Amino acid sequence: MANFAIDAVKETTYDAIVIGSGISGGWSAKELTGKGLRTLVLERGRDVKHVTDYPTTMKNPWEFEHRGQLPLKVREENPIISKCYAFNETSEHFFVKDAEQPYVQEKPFDWIRGYQVGGKSLLWARQTQRWSEFDFEGPARDSFAVDWPIRYADIAPWYSYVEKFAGIAGNKDGLPTLPDGEFLPPHDWNCVEKYFSQQVAKQYKDRHVIMGRCAHITKPQPVHLQQGRAQCQHRTICERGCPFGGYFSSNASTLPWAAKTGKLTLRPNSVVHSIIYDEKKGKATGVRVIDATTKQMMEFYARIIFVNAAALNTNLVLLNSTSSRFPNGLGNDNGLLGKYVAFHNYRAGISGEYDGFLDSTTDGRRPNSPYIPRFRNVYKQETDFLRGYAAGFSAGRISRTSQDGIGADLKENLFNPSLGGWHVGSHMMGETIPKESNYVALDSNQKDPFGIPQLRISVAYDDNDDKMVKDYQEQMTEMFTMAGFKNIKVRDDKRNPGLDIHEMGGVRMGKDPKTSLLNKWNQLHACKNVFVTDGACMTSTSTQNPSLTYMALSARAVDYAVKEITKKNL
Amino acid sequence: MERRTALKSMAVAVGGLISLPTWANGWNKATVQSFNSPLTLNANAILAEVVETIIPKTNTPGAKELGVHEFVQKMVADCYEPSAQENLTKGVAITDEMAQKTFNKPFVDCSAEQRTELLNQMSKSADASAKGFFSLVKGLTIRGYMNSEYVMTNITKYELIPGRFHGCVPVPSKTISQKPTK
Repeated sequence: MANFAIDAVKETTYDAIVIGSGISGGWSAKELTGKGLRTLVLERGRDVKHVTDYPTTMKNPWEFEHRGQLPLKVREENPIISKCYAFNETSEHFFVKDAEQPYVQEKPFDWIRGYQVGGKSLLWARQTQRWSEFDFEGPARDSFAVDWPIRYADIAPWYSYVEKFAGIAGNKDGLPTLPDGEFLPPHDWNCVEKYFSQQVAKQYKDRHVIMGRCAHITKPQPVHLQQGRAQCQHRTICERGCPFGGYFSSNASTLPWAAKTGKLTLRPNSVVHSIIYDEKKGKATGVRVIDATTKQMMEFYARIIFVNAAALNTNLVLLNSTSSRFPNGLGNDNGLLGKYVAFHNYRAGISGEYDGFLDSTTDGRRPNSPYIPRFRNVYKQETDFLRGYAAGFSAGRISRTSQDGIGADLKENLFNPSLGGWHVGSHMMGETIPKESNYVALDSNQKDPFGIPQLRISVAYDDNDDKMVKDYQEQMTEMFTMAGFKNIKVRDDKRNPGLDIHEMGGVRMGKDPKTSLLNKWNQLHACKNVFVTDGACMTSTSTQNPSLTYMALSARAVDYAVKEITKKNL
Repeated sequence: MERRTALKSMAVAVGGLISLPTWANGWNKATVQSFNSPLTLNANAILAEVVETIIPKTNTPGAKELGVHEFVQKMVADCYEPSAQENLTKGVAITDEMAQKTFNKPFVDCSAEQRTELLNQMSKSADASAKGFFSLVKGLTIRGYMNSEYVMTNITKYELIPGRFHGCVPVPSKTISQKPTK
């Protein structure tokens, strides 16, 4: 029987454990297995295999029972997830239903989650802008949060590394606010977008409208074909899962690549309860898991642990990992774990019309749109709010269909739509400032269906965000007016934080263990064999989409961790 | 159509066989099409003629032939507030009553002209139930018809896999090629 126990430990021992299989977890797994480490990837949701587990991906619109609309019952049972733009009859199976993991909203927060192998990498909007020096210098220059322990130069080679593998379409624009990368050919502009870009360039020396950089294969390279991925087919139904691997997802790219090494063990239905800390060894030794099917608690062991559970769940796991050495959560000597959470502000938008280029239109569909990099407070503080915002921009023609009449007249109207004028629109993506008062914590009483404490989320906008919304509306109105757009309307939908799906922080990086949780290698200051490389590690939020940075930080941290193992430091 | 079929098979060849996993067996075709009408047989027949009057058969199929009356009921039953269900049931009854009153026969026995006249009356009716029923059914009929396989395949020519994006092309002389004749 003694032998049996030893074997059991052996069978559950790996070189590395990765918690989570989304964008950052997939990268951690690929890098760890690529360097020869036997790696266990724990995913709380079910397995989703590339192509075979995308049940709606090849369906035509008429094959959906409700033509894409969700039944009332589903919407009533899921008031939170129903607010998400991508949650519909074609994609609902990739979203977490509200009852699956309840949480406490100390302040209104719409937590959008995807629990399955691949996580939200099946659902993301795929914008992959690099962060710039202005972003990494931001907190130090503008005196908020804490200084990043790294600069752009530290991460630049890792951006290149992940871009080449993931496949990023984009144009080299030569902008200091948005460094160029390793790009596949960019997507095409339409006439009005090109016109607006030229007008802005003429009028403002520091404002630019560029084609968005996005994780779509516009021209497959050998490394993409080796992954079994093909060129983007412009279907723009990406949230169903792409059978071509036309966009980057863990399912199409990093996980199968990791599996090919023979070093990967993927364990779906594994809800992580906590990380095990061994006081004698002074390090983490493994992970406690609740099997989602049997509800049984089990343990897995490894030399290093990568936490990639998605920002807020990474906080939850660490907060729930208590021991007498760490009574307030793993690595939480300074009490800052769960604090300084921030996000992106998508509240504001603008729309208008343009009556030029009426002889032109578009053909096909584009899974991307132009992008306006941050232009406020870049070189110096010039407004009464800190930091700035980036914006999406796009133009398109509307097909107008008259629904007048009944009978053959109506039918003729329906079959003969007229092409309306050009519609233009933009939305903001504002940087919010990480503050101690924006935090997550464990609820002392309420538990989720697995008996794990519920997360209390206390995150809200502040004056800085309101001022930024106003400035975005004013500046965009000025730019739209200058370009001759008509019927300009601004909006502020006052959506709850969370709905932007860009929550970050709580386990921030920093130079000093007194003011941060992670060092410059994404390693817990107080528990060196645990690494956090998802959104939880972010010290500040920038205005750019964060996923590409998670990929780069993951690859960089694994490289460091494996070198440290070789040096016998871990 | 042939091109799309070819592309679909290509997708299968590129991506591997597309089969439904066990957890997704709620998505098979039989489930999608199974349908329990909340209306009585008679009411179902009346609704079929209502949607057919809204979008009739010309040189292309009408709404009844494409099963749009079933789509209307399914949407109301599954996706709308319970009050819409009442509105639908009540509206069908009102339609038949109006036919009896005006033409002294059931709605299904009225001529196409008589049905059109009745629905036009309902669209302008001061009775909220009659007017509400008409606008609910008309909206859903248009949606069900325009999103039907027939229309999306033959008229509006939906592309599951366009494979392209061109930003600036000349406006085509006619956006939809097929024109119905009265």
